[in-house]
Amino acid sequence: MARGLIRRLVFGLIAIAGVIVLAFLLEFVVPGDPARAIAPRATSLQVLANIRAQLHLNQPLIVQFAGYFGNLLRGNLGTSYIQHQPVAAVIGPRLLTTGVLALAGVVAEVIIGGSLGILAALYSRVRALIGAVNLTLLAVPIFVLGLLLLLLFGFKLGIAPVSGGAGPAELVLPALTLGLIGAPWYAQIVADQMQESLASSYVRTAVSKGLPDSYILRRHVLRNVLSPAITMVGLDLGSYLSGVVTVEVVFVWPGIGLLAVNSLHNLDRPIVMGTVIVGAVAVVFFNLVADVLRMFVDPRTREEP
Amino acid sequence: MSAVTSGGSGASPPGLGAAPRRRAPWLRAPAADAAGRRAIRRWPWQLVAGVAVLVVLAGLAIAAPLFGSPTHQDLIHGLGPTGLPVGPGPGYPLGADLLGRNELVRLVYGIRVSLIVAIVSNATSIVIGAAVGLFAGYFRGPVEQILMRFTDIGLALPYTLAGLVIAAVMSAGMTRVIVIITVLFWSYPARLVYGEVLRLRTRGFVEAGEAMGARGMAIVRRHLAPHVTSMMIAYSPLNAAAAVAFEATLSYLSAGINPPTASLGNMISDGQAAISYRPLLVVAPGLAIMVLTLAFLLVGEGIKAYNPDLRRLSWLGG
Repeated sequence: MARGLIRRLVFGLIAIAGVIVLAFLLEFVVPGDPARAIAPRATSLQVLANIRAQLHLNQPLIVQFAGYFGNLLRGNLGTSYIQHQPVAAVIGPRLLTTGVLALAGVVAEVIIGGSLGILAALYSRVRALIGAVNLTLLAVPIFVLGLLLLLLFGFKLGIAPVSGGAGPAELVLPALTLGLIGAPWYAQIVADQMQESLASSYVRTAVSKGLPDSYILRRHVLRNVLSPAITMVGLDLGSYLSGVVTVEVVFVWPGIGLLAVNSLHNLDRPIVMGTVIVGAVAVVFFNLVADVLRMFVDPRTREEP
Repeated sequence: MSAVTSGGSGASPPGLGAAPRRRAPWLRAPAADAAGRRAIRRWPWQLVAGVAVLVVLAGLAIAAPLFGSPTHQDLIHGLGPTGLPVGPGPGYPLGADLLGRNELVRLVYGIRVSLIVAIVSNATSIVIGAAVGLFAGYFRGPVEQILMRFTDIGLALPYTLAGLVIAAVMSAGMTRVIVIITVLFWSYPARLVYGEVLRLRTRGFVEAGEAMGARGMAIVRRHLAPHVTSMMIAYSPLNAAAAVAFEATLSYLSAGINPPTASLGNMISDGQAAISYRPLLVVAPGLAIMVLTLAFLLVGEGIKAYNPDLRRLSWLGG
């Protein structure tokens, strides 16, 4: 069990390192001169050259990368070109804002998807209907759903704020968007797993022992759903924390995704690099956490290599 | 037919009644078998519906030039006296966009772009992914380690952000979108194929091939690739659906196909400025994306219903 975890941790670290290298290379070939983005218009060439020297932009790629990686190992993500603050200080609060949205979104999708899945597994009459709902939700791109919700609740009904921000009222629609988009995945997993358990011999034994239905559901059927659901929650938390870019853009939610989009337009390389790294770390970290949690909940998975 | 030849005893299964007439195997047409096969061959409604919608949309996309020019601005008829775009009416079935261009024509051209991107990037990402999975799964050792670690990196990349970063390096257009989708979408099929090959490796036919002295490439090509093909055919509609959605997302974030070229995504971002008084400019392209994606998903569901072996490959990717 411990060996398996260490193996996954090492693979995760390799993947993060790979993402860092890739992102750095890509950043380097992005056309545009950060020095010009920093300096005001009509600066003399001498000043531009000074800025480039200050940022080590005039050095070869490998030297720049070594410098960046060395700083990274010391926990220093660099300084924003535009905001003149340490990257960590810029990203930190944004990550918190995104975290609130990610958590709300995961809660929403677990509730919506879980109830759809339980209904589909227990009542065969609604199964086809829920299947159709799932398929429709799967077909909507996330930003289209966001805009449609914004149109309906914000502009037509006027009960949701439309101007953006990070307050509790502004949280409802983006979280609902994430919840609806994620729901079909949970619904499918929950329904499949429950149907498998309901047809299993251990449930038959429980029924023949005369246990009440609710106890069987809670103790034998729903417990089996936990293990795959935890894996999905881990995957989702990781990918949402890396910035739910489109949702944040549609609802102007000031999270890490919106920051990344803006920084990309401003050629603020350290910030873009920071967000990509934070995203990759979040994905790897939450996958690992999900693996550990799953081993606690589901003893069968402890044997896995 | 067998009921006639076997004479009576209709209840007995074919081939077990009276001795059937001897025929060469390829001429034998077992009747009950044919009936059974016809029952299976009845196409699932999802497949029929999905293909029908795709055919209609493809027809529209091919006929797009007949509708008119997607970039033609008509400031007299397209914009009202106040300068706001006209609503749905004669000549403008879906109204005009903010620049006085015919929304329907742009929609048809947008569907055309989406279909081309979906088909091309689907093919490229699946071929690359399948090749990586096959080689990593069969050859093992250092090949496996290198290829699968690259796959891990691909799976750990934050999709939208990575798409934006790649977009910044390239100039706008369809090539950019196809490259981005290929770069980001190959790793998932690679993972699927890799898992399948690991499973297939232990099966008798691979060992038999090795025992008979087949070279590695021959085993990959003749024994493993065909098994993986049906899996990839089942996966490709889902991949195409994701590609349609991702193209729209990229273009919406102006990291894909930029105006004046029409794409469903950039039409939405253009129309967003008018969302409070002409929501159709957002809703129409949004619905077009949904219909297109839904058609691909239905095809995927249909293939799954058609071939029960593929049921474990649900649209959840599990």
